[in-house]
Amino acid sequence: MEAKEYKTIKTEIRLPYELAYGATWTRFFEGLKNKTIFGTKCTKCDRVLVPARSFCPRCFVDAEEWVAVSQVGTLIAWCYTNYKYFGMPTEPPFIGSLIRLNGTDVNFLHLMGGFDLNNFDEVKKIVKSGMKVEAVWSDDRKGHIMDIKYFRPL
Amino acid sequence: MAKQVAIVAVAQNAGAESKDNFYDQAYAVTKEVLDKAGLTRDEIGTVVSASSDVFHGGISCANSYYWETTGAFLKNASRQDGESLFALFYGAMRIMSGHYDTALIIGLCKGSENPPNDTCTLMYADPFYQRGVGLTETMAAAFQMRLYMERYGITEEQCAKVAVKNLGNGLRNPYAHKKGRYTVDDILRSERLIDPLTALQVAPKSEGMVALILASAKKAKEIAAKPVWIKGFGSSLDSYYLGDRDLLNGQLKNAADRAYKMAGITDPEKKIDVAEITEPYAFQELMWYEGLGFCGEGEGGRLIDSGFTEMNGQIPVNPSGGVLANNPYVSRGLQRVVEAVLQIRGEAGERQVSKTVKMALAHGTHGYAGQCHAVAILGR
Amino acid sequence: MGRPVAIIGVGQTKHGRRMDVSYPDLVREAVMAVFNETGLTPDDIDGVVSGTMPSMMEGIALTHFYFADAMQAAGKPIMKTETCGSTGVSIAHTAYYWVASGMADLVLAVGHEKMNEGNSQATMTTVAEPFYQRYFISGAPGVFSMQSQMWMDRYAIPEEKIRDAAAFISVTHHDSAFDNPYAHIKMRVTMDEVKNARIITYPVRLLDVCPNSDGACAVIFASKDMVKKLGRKPAWIRGVGYRGEEYFFGDSDKVVWESAIQAAKQAYDQAGIKNPRKELDVAEVYNPFTFQEMLFYECFGFCEPGESPDLVLKGTFSRKGELPCDPSGGTLCTNPIGATGLIRVAEAALQVTGKAGDHQVPKAKLALSHAMGGVDQFNGIMILGSKL
Repeated sequence: MEAKEYKTIKTEIRLPYELAYGATWTRFFEGLKNKTIFGTKCTKCDRVLVPARSFCPRCFVDAEEWVAVSQVGTLIAWCYTNYKYFGMPTEPPFIGSLIRLNGTDVNFLHLMGGFDLNNFDEVKKIVKSGMKVEAVWSDDRKGHIMDIKYFRPL
Repeated sequence: MAKQVAIVAVAQNAGAESKDNFYDQAYAVTKEVLDKAGLTRDEIGTVVSASSDVFHGGISCANSYYWETTGAFLKNASRQDGESLFALFYGAMRIMSGHYDTALIIGLCKGSENPPNDTCTLMYADPFYQRGVGLTETMAAAFQMRLYMERYGITEEQCAKVAVKNLGNGLRNPYAHKKGRYTVDDILRSERLIDPLTALQVAPKSEGMVALILASAKKAKEIAAKPVWIKGFGSSLDSYYLGDRDLLNGQLKNAADRAYKMAGITDPEKKIDVAEITEPYAFQELMWYEGLGFCGEGEGGRLIDSGFTEMNGQIPVNPSGGVLANNPYVSRGLQRVVEAVLQIRGEAGERQVSKTVKMALAHGTHGYAGQCHAVAILGR
Repeated sequence: MGRPVAIIGVGQTKHGRRMDVSYPDLVREAVMAVFNETGLTPDDIDGVVSGTMPSMMEGIALTHFYFADAMQAAGKPIMKTETCGSTGVSIAHTAYYWVASGMADLVLAVGHEKMNEGNSQATMTTVAEPFYQRYFISGAPGVFSMQSQMWMDRYAIPEEKIRDAAAFISVTHHDSAFDNPYAHIKMRVTMDEVKNARIITYPVRLLDVCPNSDGACAVIFASKDMVKKLGRKPAWIRGVGYRGEEYFFGDSDKVVWESAIQAAKQAYDQAGIKNPRKELDVAEVYNPFTFQEMLFYECFGFCEPGESPDLVLKGTFSRKGELPCDPSGGTLCTNPIGATGLIRVAEAALQVTGKAGDHQVPKAKLALSHAMGGVDQFNGIMILGSKL
């Protein structure tokens, strides 16, 4: 016997937040405005982390050496997203991507683009893990992660 | 509770709004407390943080974002939601279990990034009965204040005296967000938010990353010249629906009794040298005097009148200015502990009380009209 | 290390779409179940720990306040532990340390979620901050899809083999759910149906992923004295482990997944386990995604890296295999996130106390339970045994 379903109340919540950029994120995003991708190097383990951080999570020391990293890299992994849910920040279809920019030691999370995204079978022919990719900049840069429009296949 | 767990280093970067981002602030206070203890990240056994998603910049799985800033990379670490005293208790229990010798405890809350406190505390209300009425912590406190005044003849002036005392004490605390020399009149004339609460009787919304390091007895003596021992701790939770509860007879006494029992204290009004308590609404400090056993039922007003809780009183309460002076919601309980530790060590600078401090009490509360209370007793 | 601690009773709700009850009543159902099962009353309990996914999931903050009465926690010491998806195991750890520390003899742990009241993908997007990651993390499937890809590439596992193995797992668990009275999804599927189901984020398809479930789980942890006094069959906690990696998804290797590997190692060391596949009798692995489940087998040392699809297809991890994994149907069939990790612990406890009914692994004495959380960030383990 099926359990009875009672009424429901529908509510939506909006909470406003205003987050500080602080010194580190400010410098990184000013870099994006100027078409530069900054990483920081840890003097102890020599790893270059991108986006730029103020410290190395493993050595736990200040990471004070800022480097403009290469805008070319290798596609490590990708996921083609073509479903919708409430309040999605990026309009589907889009390709979430992990990219190892040359000369860095961690993967950078961003998008692939520059080709028709609508047909997955076609996309599969173009996008392959291990391929070389390059950052493409938006003409309208505001100091936001989407100042990089996407990474295109090389 | 025999000397099992000690606090060996404390740090805070609380106060008025910081321009730094959340992530970097958290790293800064963690680094500071490690440096003070002379320990590296690798030497810390475990980390317990406290944060609360609605008070966390709209980033929900709070500890996910700041994980590595607390030194927790590839460590066995955990998180308490809501109130940082619980992170202290959990860290202490991890050490008492014998699994760890050291624990880093950190409370994280950046008030300047969040919506107003009431917008956040409205989220505690269930959407069926209490949210439609607009129940927030301020509204709940207003109910409680009126009941308190009417039951025991506590006056508005007595309540205002708490704000005068604490905001005045805040002048000597470099970490205080709000501070100033006010009169009872100033307090009562400030904007009437929800009667009988006026704006200066209500805590602000502040920055606050607060960290400390716990160590087992064995380790504590290696690390710190002046370890401060956790003598006892306790907490207690009240029923949920506001109307179900006796707002004048909540769970503070249970929480305090548990802590006192562990610490072997039967006469707190004599044994406690200084108390740092959480009073987001001025009148609540008077109620908490009673729940903590500093005076009898209904005598909170008389106690503040007598000067018992002033800086030079028998039990100075909130020499730091308390939460009325600085309210980083989630971190405030742990900040009370840090202030208590500084008093015991004689390191509280301008806000150091003049009497010798051997035993201090730290208290935290959150939820409607103090639905949840936590108490820690610290001593030499 | 510390006082011995055991689980002496568990309770679960019938997981699924539970619009027949309010959220507090759902929590109460699990709490009543564990009291009925153990014959204990709320008065016996020294402390309560609860946990759930963030407030956005059901639109209510500080749920331990809301459920004070449903959990019968009024007047008691309380803890609220939250670590995203790994919450369920973190709650279990909290209860464990609470008793092991000597601060309590009986602790009630409660995990709960009512996902049908909220929007899980939208909620999970808020785990990422809006500076860097929020634009690219398309809910959980995208993350796990990328991890699976990296794993396939690393060990050059042919896609066909992985799809077959993933489908095999899906079929196995969906079948097992029929032997679990509390499981949510009860649906027979075939290998073909799984391999051709609707794509969510490639290569992950509909039948490779967990449902949104409503459910709660309550577990009572006890000291050795209490176990003796109450005379109930104990599931002793033999080992606990937990690790977290960086917040930034790209920072750590998610194939040689250190948080999973080291969390398991910490627990194995405490339990004295050297050869997990041989010594464990059953494993309740947190498995919202079939592909990722295979990676967990490797990280937990059940087989060599890159080897799990072969062993899956051989039946090594099936109900009658060498190491049955998720005989309850696992997370794949039931996922009320705040409860899910605790359900893994509860199922492991049922196994080693011989109370798992139709999905009992015969003579199970040593069980592993696990939960994962964050953006592939946290892993927690609890090992239970019939003997101390």
